[in-house]
Amino acid sequence: MAPLVTFDRATLGYGRRVVLTDISFEMPEGDFLGLVGPNGSGKTTIVRAILGTLQPLAGTVTRDPTLRFGYVPQRDQVDYSFPLKVLDVVMMGRYDRIGLGRRPTAEDRALAREALEHVGIAHLADHRLADLSGGQKQRTLIARALVGEPNVLVLDEPTNGMDLVATTQILGLVRELHDRDGLTVLMVSHALNEVVNYVDRIALVVEGGFRIGTTDEIMTEETLTQMYGIPVEVDSFDGHRIVVARRRHTTEAADRV
Amino acid sequence: MFSTVLLFREALYGALVIAVACSVLGVYVVLRRIVFVGAAVAQISSAGIALALWLAGTGLALGPLLRPTVMSLVLTLAAVVIFAGGARGRIPPDATIGVTYAVAAAVGILLIAKAASGEAHDIFLQGNILGITRGDTLVLIGVAVPVLVLHVLFYKELLFVSFDRETARTLGYDVRRWDLLLYLTLGVVIASAMQFAGVMLVFNFLVLPAVTGLLLSQHMRGMFFWSVASAVTAAVVGFSLSVPFDLPSGPAISAVSGVLVLLAWLGRRLAARA
Repeated sequence: MAPLVTFDRATLGYGRRVVLTDISFEMPEGDFLGLVGPNGSGKTTIVRAILGTLQPLAGTVTRDPTLRFGYVPQRDQVDYSFPLKVLDVVMMGRYDRIGLGRRPTAEDRALAREALEHVGIAHLADHRLADLSGGQKQRTLIARALVGEPNVLVLDEPTNGMDLVATTQILGLVRELHDRDGLTVLMVSHALNEVVNYVDRIALVVEGGFRIGTTDEIMTEETLTQMYGIPVEVDSFDGHRIVVARRRHTTEAADRV
Repeated sequence: MFSTVLLFREALYGALVIAVACSVLGVYVVLRRIVFVGAAVAQISSAGIALALWLAGTGLALGPLLRPTVMSLVLTLAAVVIFAGGARGRIPPDATIGVTYAVAAAVGILLIAKAASGEAHDIFLQGNILGITRGDTLVLIGVAVPVLVLHVLFYKELLFVSFDRETARTLGYDVRRWDLLLYLTLGVVIASAMQFAGVMLVFNFLVLPAVTGLLLSQHMRGMFFWSVASAVTAAVVGFSLSVPFDLPSGPAISAVSGVLVLLAWLGRRLAARA
């Protein structure tokens, strides 16, 4: 089966500013990929190239013609001062299917309610988006992405600013969507420990470096120490993996800051 | 009082057209936080009127450009195209808008000061609601109706790119083009309303009714409804009070708009406590 997205020696950046060079990887159908790296490392640049809103400066990024993304932006990218009901926000995911100048039909509304049902907040359909909790807002944005019937779900920092309970619930929901519906998922996060136990593969982006592989391949002390430039330990607890930085002398650590 | 108001009914009709058009567009101006773009565009529009009046006095043969409305429209549209493109340089967008506002205001005043019979033309910058004729109202309707039809037709597209431009982009929306459409309609309405309503009243209609709408409503439809309703109420009440009491119409309408914002705010506070 042909991959949905193929990066072939792609150089990515904006104008003359190069962010990442020589990126090559494939995203097959049914993949659950975590794109992980610190803020400013180039994760968003890769996502934009995948979505097709950024063209590579060199090399190629090829997308399957049938590809349709369901994009879940960072929660703070959305303006909550708009007086919008949850159902109206979810409906936006179908706007391009409805077509220019046309109004949503009863079927569109039914599909939007179905998407809300899918993410477990059908009872909030007529609530104002601004009145919801962080986790509920995130579920609304996921429902909006699903209602467009995508074959790839792209989530940008879906657990940013959430507490432990909401984070676990959202990551569990995304994993469930992948397992139950066979949805291909790309999840972007700066927190390796959060995503590592949910995804199948990890693409690590750190200071211009890029490494991709299965979680087993990436989650080794050797790889992570090399990528982050500091000694790290990979521990396992009750089947869950966790990465911790080894303690160092204060002066040595300060040299890197 | 009613009979006195009836004498100026053509002016009231014109004010109502401006109120409706500006209060619909004002919903986007307030929600997109581009209130100061509205102020700067209004100021540029008035500077265009001043430029046309000054050029007319110099004896230059520039044809239709010497008509204040045409010059105002040309400068306004040029400005909105620039604003719609967004800032790309080192100067923050807010600062660019501030510079534009200050320079346009100063240029307008300086040009009027040196225009032939400038003092008489000062009324153009302050607005002259009472001077609106039936012909003027028809022109205003001719501008407002197509703009409002466009906004009804492309409501969901304009809403989507205003609310979440990044997601809209991933679904194939050319966000810049939709921004341009919004800004162009804004520019056309401001430029056509400016010579009758003046900077203060146009700015008032762009901002205050939409704020009232935001305070009173729980959804977009309600916000549009209350924005238009409060703009129409302010126009009718402010105009009706200004004529018998010999008050300037623009400030009277703006004052009523301010009272409506205050009432909406108090109503919301009371509802929250209940």
